[in-house]
Amino acid sequence: MASSSVFLVMVSGQIESAEFPEFDDIYCRYCFTHGLDWLITSGLEEGITQVTKKSQDEKQRFVWNFPIDITFKSTNPSGWPQLVVHAYGPDVFGTDVVRGYGNCHVPITPGRHKLRIPMFVPESSSAFQKLTSWFLGRRPEYVDPRVVAQGEGREVTRVRSQGFLTVSFNVVMKDMKKLGYDVLPSDVVHAALIETVGQSQAATEA
Amino acid sequence: MGEVHVIGQIVGASGFPEHSLFCKWGIHTGGSWKVLSGLREGQTQVDNPQNHEAAYWSHPIDIHFATKGLQGWPKIHFQVWHQDQYGRNELYGYGFCHLPTSPGVHEIECSTWRPTGTFFQQISQFFLGGGPQLKNPDLIYSGADRYKLHTIAMGKVHLRLGLILRNFDRFGIEC
Repeated sequence: MASSSVFLVMVSGQIESAEFPEFDDIYCRYCFTHGLDWLITSGLEEGITQVTKKSQDEKQRFVWNFPIDITFKSTNPSGWPQLVVHAYGPDVFGTDVVRGYGNCHVPITPGRHKLRIPMFVPESSSAFQKLTSWFLGRRPEYVDPRVVAQGEGREVTRVRSQGFLTVSFNVVMKDMKKLGYDVLPSDVVHAALIETVGQSQAATEA
Repeated sequence: MGEVHVIGQIVGASGFPEHSLFCKWGIHTGGSWKVLSGLREGQTQVDNPQNHEAAYWSHPIDIHFATKGLQGWPKIHFQVWHQDQYGRNELYGYGFCHLPTSPGVHEIECSTWRPTGTFFQQISQFFLGGGPQLKNPDLIYSGADRYKLHTIAMGKVHLRLGLILRNFDRFGIEC
């Protein structure tokens, strides 16, 4: 019984590229966050890309072409997995500082999806901290990047958005429909309605 | 009972006169709807974009509703605020939109407005900032008593919302 109430979400895709017009030598880390009912059945929850320079043309893209392959299982769509990405690059002293945090939900519909995720960095909360971070060359970072996937406690943070990251997903699902979940608009021709309501109507007519 | 999952993001806002924006949001439903899990209201971070025209919040939403009826389909409402360099907040716009009724991913643009007030209020707002606000925020998503208001258009709030419906077809409801 327990196994029959489980659905699977298989996600494959890649962290394609990013736009950070002001920086160079960027690498990106990713991790997935999910609710309590969710489990990873295969694949890596976290990863780290190579360091890339921006392209020489006028687009100035950072291309990673980094693969993502992960399968989730759950009994409840609540707590749907989110991808958290955080990009780092060296500052003038050569220490790695964060260049952007971003997040998005794994698409809830099967098929191919390409998303452009805005990337932002947290700002110092006071002028004094701004000054000390300028002197010490350390800028504010999140202790746990997973906070960007939470809806709570965001009112206290100030951020500056400064770039985009492009991710593509291919999503396959198993047993969603069997558990009664509709993730796509019902097809008029093949609607489940015709099987149930229509048949019982035909039976009464007969 | 039908179940609705709303999974998505308040992506950001564009078209406002200043940046450095944040947004207070909430979801209003009819009486037959119940929240099983997730937050039904919140506030985004303050985004001050470096070099583009739109503010981005990437504020995640993940709510699970259960319902006995379709009446009072959920509405999401917003208050967009501007925070200046001294930390003072000024109202920039009200807006609401219905959650989509069909499952799948939806990109939504929600236009916003703010009250203009009288001529003298507009003059004082031009020099001092601030401006009239709604005493009763229910007006954002209700149609009653709106005729007394004078308003002006503000920017747009951008949403990407995914809907998953459960057991709707069992009751013969086509979405």
